[in-house]
Amino acid sequence: MTTFTLCTLSSSSSSHLPCCISNSTTEEVHLGSPLLQRQFIFNTNWRKGRRGRGVSCGISCSAEAKTVVIGLAADSGCGKSTFMRRLTSVFGGAAEPPRGGNPESNTLLSDTTTVICLDDYHLLDREGRKEKGVTALDPRANNFDLMYEQVKALKAGVAVEKPIYNHVTGLLDPPELILPPKILFIEGLHPIFDSRVRDLLDFSIYLDISDEVKFAWKTKRDMAERGHSLHSIKASIEARKLDFDAYVDPQKQYADVVIEVLPTQLIPDDNERKVLRVRLVMKEGVKYFNPVYLFDEGSTLSWIPCGRKLSCSYPGIKFFYGPDTYVAHEVSVLEMDGQFDRLDELMYVESHLNNLSTKYYGEATEQMLKHGDFPGSNNGTGLFQTIIGLKIRELYECIVAEKSVTPLEAARVF
Amino acid sequence: MASSSSLSLSSPHFPSSSGLRSRSQRDPAEAVVSIQARKWWPGRSGSAAAVAAAVRKRYKGTAMREKKLAEMIEKKVEEAKAACEGEERRGSDGCKVAWDEVEEVSQAMARLRRRLAESDRDPLDAFCQENPETDECRVYDE
Repeated sequence: MTTFTLCTLSSSSSSHLPCCISNSTTEEVHLGSPLLQRQFIFNTNWRKGRRGRGVSCGISCSAEAKTVVIGLAADSGCGKSTFMRRLTSVFGGAAEPPRGGNPESNTLLSDTTTVICLDDYHLLDREGRKEKGVTALDPRANNFDLMYEQVKALKAGVAVEKPIYNHVTGLLDPPELILPPKILFIEGLHPIFDSRVRDLLDFSIYLDISDEVKFAWKTKRDMAERGHSLHSIKASIEARKLDFDAYVDPQKQYADVVIEVLPTQLIPDDNERKVLRVRLVMKEGVKYFNPVYLFDEGSTLSWIPCGRKLSCSYPGIKFFYGPDTYVAHEVSVLEMDGQFDRLDELMYVESHLNNLSTKYYGEATEQMLKHGDFPGSNNGTGLFQTIIGLKIRELYECIVAEKSVTPLEAARVF
Repeated sequence: MASSSSLSLSSPHFPSSSGLRSRSQRDPAEAVVSIQARKWWPGRSGSAAAVAAAVRKRYKGTAMREKKLAEMIEKKVEEAKAACEGEERRGSDGCKVAWDEVEEVSQAMARLRRRLAESDRDPLDAFCQENPETDECRVYDE
């Protein structure tokens, strides 16, 4: 009889070890026993980093990898693309439009990730929406049945022919083939709207941009275009606000993480909106996701890192951390107001945050540096997006570890 | 992915190892203290973007797309203003759909501009390699 160590996998949402809790028992097991379906051997190689440097789930059996699906919701022109690029970059390589095929494709591909833009699931094209008097924000303009079917298929490892919405012509173009990736990101206005699609998501994020900041960003985006003026930019935001508040905004309550971007409180009468106050609202009790914290988990803190050890230029940096309730959920909130001016400020802040899911000291800073030219690289938007990217990586690794339950092969045992 | 030598900052002003040492040498306390206080954030207008724009070949199809989107923005803003004129039309469906279209084309333009600024390949590159004889794939002279 073979004697070996079994590890029972259990996930405990309140623990710091989201992935593997080793509970080694030595048991005699008959090969082919039904027990084997539920348990597997792996070399537990997990270290709890002192500052939450991430848990590594070392697994030696082959993973029957299924697609992990992440949803990102935000209004258009609110930084979804930048966020996506940061997220996909954590998994290595840049996600690029597919080579060959329709040049108007909205899809992005990298080695491990695929990003699908949910505009591709528009039920009505531009003409159709005009006829019906319906904006793109309205659920009636979108084909949730198809969205659900295709996300479900990709999650199960089946390729799909996905329609392409051409933003230039406003028409639905012939479909493109999407192969199931390791990680599927779906981004758009309604990833968490439909309950069936919501159930397929392993993790979801909502980017909540306040009105003042949205206006500043859209002004920056559009002012150089002929035809636009401050008036037209404002009118466009206002006209869409009703539908946005009715259909897109309520998705906040379902998201696992909400990133709120607000005007700064450090500069009185600030109108430029260059310095931002960003709040990372993290739901408690989400599987494989342990909220980032400052100093002492569950306590409430205000922290200004600038002082004797670190000198910052105006307006400086201010952090806040604490538990809270958000739309009837228990959450932890980490807030950063201000901006980074120098590398050492970023490193200093990283060294004081916990549960970052970094694999080595300085990884978050390194990721920020990699994309130093992206908008938001010097403030909370870049920092929190980078952190969420690292946490999604950890979540992905844990899900893959959980799914790699394979029947024991005799060869592996010896 | 982890070594400091892979940190290639786009701006030529910054040394490639920005004070972060390799994994084996890392000592947390020392690392924070030893990093010199210098600006690291090159900002949106990094020199790499300018270089990319200068070097890249532009196809007629892409230039046409850019032109078309610019014209559409102008046109749709005018249509939206007209659709929302007067008390009756201000809160109407026609009014909000018109401004939604403005948003859609503005976002499409921003997306195209960003794609052009950041990649050294034209979006039509792959298509034009397969179909070099089409009108869209003529090299664009400004």
